[in-house]
Formats: sequence, C-alpha cells, structure tokens
Amino acid sequence: MPSFRSSRLPRGLRITLLLSPAAVVIGVFFLGGVSQAVAQSFGYQPFLPDYHWSTDAYRAIWLDPAVRASLLITLRVSLASTVIAAVSGVAAALAIRGLRRGRGWVTGLFQVNLAVPHLVGALCMLLLLGQSGVIARLTLTAGLSTSPAAFPQLTGDRFGWGIIAEYAWKETPFVGIIALAALSRGVADLENAARVLGATQWQRRRHVTLPLLAPPVAAASVLVFAFAAGTYEVPYLLGRSYPATLSVVALQDYRDTDLSVRPQAMAVAVVITLLTTVLVIAYLALAKRLSGRPL
Amino acid sequence: MGWGRPLLALLIAGLLLPLVPLLAWAVSGQWRYPGLVPQRLSGRGVRILTDPRSHVLSGVFTSTLISVSVAALACAIGLPAGRAIGVYRFRGRRLVQFLLLAPVIVPGLAVTLGIQVFFIHYGLAASTLGVVLVQLLPTVPYAATVLGAAFANLDLDYERQARALGSGPVRTLVFVTIPLLRPALILAGLFCFLISWNEYVLTLLVGAGQVQTLPLLLFAAIGSSDTTAAAALGVLVVLPPLLLIGLAGRLLAGRSGAAIGLGRL
Amino acid sequence: MTRARRRLLATLAAGVLALTGCSSSAGDTPASSLDPPNWKSVLTAAKGQTVNWYMYGGDDTLNTFVNGYVADRLKKVGVSLNQVKVTDTGDAVNAVLGQKQAGKTAGGAVDAIWINGENFATGAQAKLWYCGWVKDLPNARYVDFTDPAVSSDFGVPVNGCESVWQQADSALVYNSGALSAADAGSVSSLFAWAKRHPGRFTYPALPDFTGSMAVRTILYDTIGGPRSLSGPFDEAKYAPAAAKLFARLTAIAPSLWRGGSTYPQSEDAVEKLYADGVIDAYYTYGPGAVADKVAKGQYPKTTREAVLSVGNIGNISSIAIPADAAHRAAALVLANLLQDPATQLALYQAEGIYPGIDLTRTSPPIRHAFAAIAPSPSVLPLAALLRNAQPELASGYVTRIDKDWKSAVLQK
Repeated sequence: MPSFRSSRLPRGLRITLLLSPAAVVIGVFFLGGVSQAVAQSFGYQPFLPDYHWSTDAYRAIWLDPAVRASLLITLRVSLASTVIAAVSGVAAALAIRGLRRGRGWVTGLFQVNLAVPHLVGALCMLLLLGQSGVIARLTLTAGLSTSPAAFPQLTGDRFGWGIIAEYAWKETPFVGIIALAALSRGVADLENAARVLGATQWQRRRHVTLPLLAPPVAAASVLVFAFAAGTYEVPYLLGRSYPATLSVVALQDYRDTDLSVRPQAMAVAVVITLLTTVLVIAYLALAKRLSGRPL
Repeated sequence: MGWGRPLLALLIAGLLLPLVPLLAWAVSGQWRYPGLVPQRLSGRGVRILTDPRSHVLSGVFTSTLISVSVAALACAIGLPAGRAIGVYRFRGRRLVQFLLLAPVIVPGLAVTLGIQVFFIHYGLAASTLGVVLVQLLPTVPYAATVLGAAFANLDLDYERQARALGSGPVRTLVFVTIPLLRPALILAGLFCFLISWNEYVLTLLVGAGQVQTLPLLLFAAIGSSDTTAAAALGVLVVLPPLLLIGLAGRLLAGRSGAAIGLGRL
Repeated sequence: MTRARRRLLATLAAGVLALTGCSSSAGDTPASSLDPPNWKSVLTAAKGQTVNWYMYGGDDTLNTFVNGYVADRLKKVGVSLNQVKVTDTGDAVNAVLGQKQAGKTAGGAVDAIWINGENFATGAQAKLWYCGWVKDLPNARYVDFTDPAVSSDFGVPVNGCESVWQQADSALVYNSGALSAADAGSVSSLFAWAKRHPGRFTYPALPDFTGSMAVRTILYDTIGGPRSLSGPFDEAKYAPAAAKLFARLTAIAPSLWRGGSTYPQSEDAVEKLYADGVIDAYYTYGPGAVADKVAKGQYPKTTREAVLSVGNIGNISSIAIPADAAHRAAALVLANLLQDPATQLALYQAEGIYPGIDLTRTSPPIRHAFAAIAPSPSVLPLAALLRNAQPELASGYVTRIDKDWKSAVLQK
C-alpha cells in the first residue's frame, strides 16, 4: 500500500475525499434522479404543497395499449440490434485478424462510423432507407419497384427496421473493436496448441476462440442493449408515433400539457430503469456462473 | 477461407455506404425523386451554415463552450475518483466501481426526468451552466473509469521520489502525476468532449429550448422539409469527432477501457 | 502565487463567468412595477432586455421574417429578440406549467408565446397568463375587439390575456396534375379520388394542430357544419357526431398514405411527403406560404389550392405573456410591434400571411399596399379564403377529438 511520509490524512478519509466529487455527481444527479423518478411516479410533488401518494400512474400505464406495445417494440428492437451487432462484429473481427496485409487501414475504415453521432446516423438511414431514399431510387431504376409506395417501409414502420438498422450499423464496429482487442496473442497461442493437437478449424473456432471471446463480447452486448433500450433521438426519427419505444413514450407523456400525466412519464422512466438494471444483474449473475466452466 | 475477405469487404462497404447520401444531399441544390444523382448541385447547404440568421455559428460556439467545460469538469472530478479506485484496495471498491458505471447502463433520460423540476427551481434551467452540470451525468463515469485504469498502471515511485525531494502535494500533482497520466487524460477528455458534443435529450430537457447546441439545431433541421440544410448541418456535426478520433487513433490501440466509451458515442 | 497559478485561476474564473453569464437574466422586471397604460415607462423598462419568444419553428420563411424584420425593429428600441423554436406550442405551455410545478413564481424562462386554441385554454385554466394589458397597447386601436374571433379563442373568452397577431385560414393544397378542380371540390369528392388513387393523401397524426384541423373539417362536412356543436362542450352532442366522424375516418383510412396504419408525425412531415411527390394533396393552415415553396422549387409548379364545399376553418392566433415572465416589458413591446400595420404588411409581403388586425381601421396607404400585392397562381386570394370561413369549435371539443382520435382511428 502506498503511503507518503508527509501524508497527514488517515487512509479512509483520504479515499473518501478523493471520491467525494464523483460521489456528489453520482449521488445527487443519478441516485437523486432515480429516486425522484420513483417518488414522482407515485404522485410525489417536490414543490407543490398538495399531492397524494397513489399507484394511479402504474395502473394507467399497465392498462394503456400504447405502453404495452411500446415495451414490445423496445425489447424487439434492442434484442435484434444487439444480436446483429454482436454477430457482425465478431465475424468482422475474425476476418480482420485473418488479414495478412493491410490490416491497419482496414481497421481504420472499419472504425469510421464510430465517430458519427447517432443523430447523424438516423439522418443517414432516413436518406438511405426511406421510401424516396437512395436505395428506393436504385430499385426504381433497376425496375424492381414502381413508385415510392411500392418500396417496402423501412423507416417509420411497425416493426422498427429502420431503428434496428441504425443501431446495428453503429454498434457493429463497437463490438468488433472489443472482439479484436480480445483476440490477443494469448488466444492465438491457444489456437495453435489446439491445432497441434489435431483440432480442425471449425473445432478450434467453436471450442477455443468463441468461448474466449464470449465474456468481452457479452459485456459489450449488454452495453449495446442498454443503450438501444434507452435512447430517444433514433427511435423518434426512425420509428412511428405508435408504437413508439419506451423513451419516446416517456418524453411524450412528460411534455403533455396535462401535468397529471407526468407521474405516468415517471412510471415509464422507472420501467426503463428496471429493465436495464435487471439486464445487468442477470448478466453479472450468468457471467459468474459461466466463468467457472472449463474449456 | 474463401468467403472471409469478400464478406469483410461487403461489411466495410455497408458501414461506409450510409454516409454517401449525407454528403450528396449536403451539396445538392435540387434532388427530387427519382433522380439517382442530384439534378443540380449548389452551395446553399454551406451558405446556410455560415448565415448568421440560421444560428449555426452560435450553435457551434455554444456546443464548443459546453463540451470543453464538460470535458474539463468531468476530468477534474474523475481524476481523484480514478485515483481512489485505481491506487487503493478498499472494502466496497467493487461497489463503488459499479455505482460509477451505473449512469452508463441506466438511460440518462429516465434519470433527468426526475430531477428536471429541481433544475427549474434552482434557476439552472434554460442556462448553459445547468446544461453543463447535467451533462456531467454521462461523462463522469467514463472519466473515472479511464483514469482509474490509468492509475492502476501508474508507477507511484515517481511521486514518492518527488515527495522525497521536498515537492509539495500540489506541485507533485501538477508536475509529476498529471504529465504521467497525459495519454489517459487526453483520452478521457476526448470521450467526455464527444459525449457532450453529441448529447441531445439532456440538453433539451434542461436547456428549455434556449440553450441551442448543434444536436438541437440538427434535430430540428431533420424534422423540417429542407433536407439539404439538415445534411449540411449533419456533416458539420460529424467533422470534429472524426478529426479528434483520428488524432487520438494512436492512443486507442489496445486499451479496452477506451473501447467501452466509443460505443456510447 | 506563481505566474502559472495566477494564469490558471484567471482562466478558471473567466470560464465560470462565461458559463453563468450565458443565461439571459439581465434587467428582470419586477412584475408589479410595470404600468402598461403608461407606454413610455414600458419602453424605458424594456430597453436592454431580451425577450424569449417561444413560437412554432417549422416555418422557415416565417423564421427568416422574425429574425430579420421583427428583430431589427426591436433592436431599434433596445430590445433583443431570442426566438425559441418549438415543434409544438404545447411544449411552451408545458414549460410554463413545469415552472409552476417547480414553485417558480418569477424570472420565468418563457416571456411570450405565439398561441391560440387548446394551448391558450390550458394556460387560462391553470391561470398562467398575465392579463389585462391588451387594450393598453398603442397599436390596439387597429384591432376590432367586437369580432367574436378576437374576443373568444376557441370558445374561451380572451379577457385581455392575449393580443392578436395573425389570421389563419385553412385550405387544401393539391397537385393539379394529379387532381382536378372537381376532385378538390368537396370532402366527398376528395375521398372518392383517394379511393381511386390510394396512398396519395394523408394528414398529420393528432394532436398536431393541422391534423386536428383536417379532422374537424371532415367533421363539419360529416354533420353539416359546426352549428350543431356550437357553444361549450356537451357530451350528449359530442357522442353521435364523433361516432359518425370516426366511422368515416376509419372507412377512408385504407386509401390513405401507408394504408392508414400510420400518420406523419407533423405538418412538416406532410409537407415533406408532398415535396417528395409521395402524396398529392394535404390540408394546410398557411395557404399563403405555399407560393414561397413553389418559387423555391420545393413544390411542383402545378400546385394549387382549394376551399372545399364545407368551407374552411379559420382562426386568429395571438401572443400571450406568462404571468411569471422574466422580461414582461420586452414582451409587451414585442406584442405591440407585431400589431403595427407596417409589420403586418411586411409579413403579408414576406409570406402571404394574413393580418390579424382590422384593415378598415388602418390608413389608406396601408390598405392600398395590401391590395397591390399580386398573389401567385398557386395561392388563393384572401377574398376566396374568407368567403366560406367557418368558426372553430369550443376547445373542449378539440381536446376531446384529439384524444379520441388516437384510440378510434390510429390504434385500429
């Protein structure tokens, strides 16, 4: 343990002081925000004298078909994007690793869209996938469709394809980079050992490479899922007003001129928080159980 | 493996393809359906960016001011926190690390809805200061984590030597510790800058429409019927992140803590 | 203190100052000290203030006018304009309501709102507005306060809580290459055309203001005019009318854009669809602005407008000032400037937006200037728009239709 001869502060106090600014930010903004959202969802009003506690908001969102449909589309979109990003990212990482020449600039190109903000990504997808967008025009020129309406609905559609496309597009390099970082020397050595012992390429993949990639890729996937479930801009621009994802519904309710709808917005916010927290806890529990598995 | 390289080429092309319509629309004067290329090119997109009436330049100023402030403040807060989790082993360290990363998992929208009423009450709404404060929420976790990893790898002997030679704690911090941590500090500052640069919902909620950062202007432009203006603004918003990440590209090689931040962008 | 340390402290201090200074709190007016009948005192108090004007921001030409002509004239009396664009006026009302919820009674972020209809009613009900100043504006002499469209806003008495600005008249915008004048003659003929050409007509999802107007126009046509629903909200009258309306809307839905399974999020989105050639007709509250879009090349030259046989809904939109506004004096100066005949003329010239003031009370040169402006062939002249103008319903009906539309039509 490091200790400085001229240190005047006891260790515990020193650690507390070092953590205090971050603790203020996390405590006041994060924990405070979450507890306020919970309290206000039960009817609490911080500055108005007359309020009463009730579960009306939760009952209202449970009965609201818009919220149920919203939960469904949020899960669907997040899951699909995460799976696509994970599979594509891992495949890309393996392919890049297999390159003998040009790995540097291929990796660079692979990462270009990491710098593009999600808002701009949403615009790109609108311009690309919209019914009067670039791909629609290409199919018209190729004779595959006859009008904007004949092109399939990929943006503002019921399933959420446009949203999935944007998330998958942005998060594939993210998972890919993490997978690439995990495919270090140590993994190559293990693969060589397996090859020496007679394992085929497919067997090496399945029993050495993928299990070693699983932990970091799983962690990245959890982040991708949580992010996809919680953003606002992308589902608002690429989705439709019904069904909308949970974040869009929460903000819609919050901006209603009828302030009695605000507890419902808070309730939806609490649902989002629970969803992401449960996901992380499930991942941690699963990771703990699986990490003891022998190769 | 015959299909590996073509597949990769297809993937990379797919990753770069959506950017093409953006660039094309930014310089088009008229591009009605079903034209494959713009019927007319024009500099109108660029002119809109420089027109004082479109408030884009003041948006650039506001965004830059806020993002630089957020990066500086988040690193200033993340530095001591990173030291605490990186250097010391204490009971509850894993809990602190988990709590520090919680804002990364739980969407900022859900959290800000709860505290927005407080921002209004304390006069922080509709002010740049309020926006800077609320943007600490997604940025401090990254700063603390990246700097924590850096502190864990830091050789404390340098500090011990400096103190042994009679340097005070502040001088040691400024002239020994910080220069040693410079790569990580630059990385953390870069992440925080980019997260703040791209932030929309938190600025919308706390800024009450009066703090116009580039993402707010872009969101409004995307909703309007002027695609060229939106595309031009989109290209403008993308340029600083591209430049900064390109510059920091060398520093990113092999640092897994860094990669986590990239996905947030 | 070393030089490096002093420089660091100076930079930090400058940074903090820059941040805190970037919020307009200079020259807040204590609400009680303003005396609108004494206009000179209002002008003195307003000097150096910034007025935060929250208004719908989707109209580019209007934004140019506001940030150009209006901002320049305000600068001449020492007032700075900060136009805060909102996609929905309800957001501005929501902001003021939020301030009330946060216990803030002064120094509010919203100084003035361009408003009417349900949003005004919501604010009136929550006692958000500063009232009793409208008749004290010097330019109030140009306003006809006996006009029922001015004294009552969607059935809610104005009571001096908002000052008139614009007159809006609705119309159908259509591509004459796809629809004939006969197709655009009535709601029935329009729907018959839509059945023959499915997917080429739509309206914004309610509660968008224009979408609401489109639905109410169809309502008037369905029940033979607004007279049976005149007066305050009555459930007994509402139920049968709404049943017929929603039945008609769900019947025509399959012939609309995307088979009626979804509706565009805003009037902006609808205009974009028209500009892209995806739809051929849409309703608008801003018929005068279409000429500008045709001139810019965003709309086809064959664009025309029509007033359907049922008539067109028209209303007055105004400026309201929240009671907790930080810069009340500047807001008063703004409201007065917007009623100035010169401003109304400039607005008509810029975008074909019709004046809210009574032109018969203005001077002859102004009246001649209005008449002298030649309209484009794509736009209906004011006389044609006013010929069959229908009043708005009470805001209670509007709110109820907006809410029921979601479950009756959208979620089907």
